[in-house]
Amino acid sequence: MKRALVAALLIVAAIPLLSIVAELPPHAAPDSPAYTHVSAHYLEHGAEEAGAENIVTDVILNYRGFDTNGEVTVIFTALAAVLAILLLPSEERVEERPAPAMPVSMVVRFVVRLLAPFIALFAVYVIMNGHVTPGGGFQGGTILGALVIALTIVLGEDEAHRLLPRPARPWLQAAAPLTFVVIGIAGIAVVGSYLGFPAEEPWQWVRTAWLVILEIGIGVGGGAIIGTLFWTMEAER
Amino acid sequence: MTPADAVIGALTVVFAGLGAFFFLVGTLGLLRLPDFFSRTHAATKCDTVGAGSLLLALALYNGLDADSLKIIAIAGLVLLTSPTSGHALARAAFRTGLVPWRKERAGEEAS
Repeated sequence: MKRALVAALLIVAAIPLLSIVAELPPHAAPDSPAYTHVSAHYLEHGAEEAGAENIVTDVILNYRGFDTNGEVTVIFTALAAVLAILLLPSEERVEERPAPAMPVSMVVRFVVRLLAPFIALFAVYVIMNGHVTPGGGFQGGTILGALVIALTIVLGEDEAHRLLPRPARPWLQAAAPLTFVVIGIAGIAVVGSYLGFPAEEPWQWVRTAWLVILEIGIGVGGGAIIGTLFWTMEAER
Repeated sequence: MTPADAVIGALTVVFAGLGAFFFLVGTLGLLRLPDFFSRTHAATKCDTVGAGSLLLALALYNGLDADSLKIIAIAGLVLLTSPTSGHALARAAFRTGLVPWRKERAGEEAS
């Protein structure tokens, strides 16, 4: 009886769902709404309207900049939550860390030291060139974070911590949301809307400059957050 | 086709074939060798010799320009990083007590 009832309910629920699926446009049909609304407009007018040759940058920083603003705030909040849990004052925390069980290999140390400047250069390139080629703040920030982790392993924590001076750290970790707020308010002052970008003739360089500043903010913030997470979890070990 | 073009074309084929061969051998080794150390050894051969030869073939095929320089730079990067990561993996495994496989011991472990 119960099984029959469940089967009947499932069939009743399945009929409207299946009929809706039948109404959907066929997969990859060129006239489906996914390809006819904003996407086509973005592809055709994105570069001139939003100011970056890389359409992805146009979408995430200009057309949907508000969404990205929320996104970087979520990332920063996640860091704050992790720090709040891991940095709880505990009685048994020892001040002196035990020496690492295994000394860092000479080969690894040499190669990381040799490549570190190139990795840093590549990160800066990915961040600064994000409005022209694939890349941008999120990708470059990840490369920066990986560099911080590699240097921490090779140089040891104390040396690596000096790369990011302690008073500057909170500002670097919050760099992405702060940059968005600053550019957003600048948009109110200049264009009249939050995160508005000037698009009229003589002011297009301002728009490009703001896009690059946002990329730098996202990159620095992302790298600082990844590095801090690594340091905090290593100290917890 | 000038003789120089023919030589460059032949070299491209040789290096690309060499790269494909080393990737095949490395993949076979990764799947068939008995323990972590020998598998790491096989896998890093793919990256160094295999990818190195393929990138060299690409650079030869492309001719002398900026793109070829970038390809050579990528090959140099792979030649530096791949053996380093292989070394770090094997060293960490050995120092934390993983015992390398030996043929004469293979019977005991299985029983």
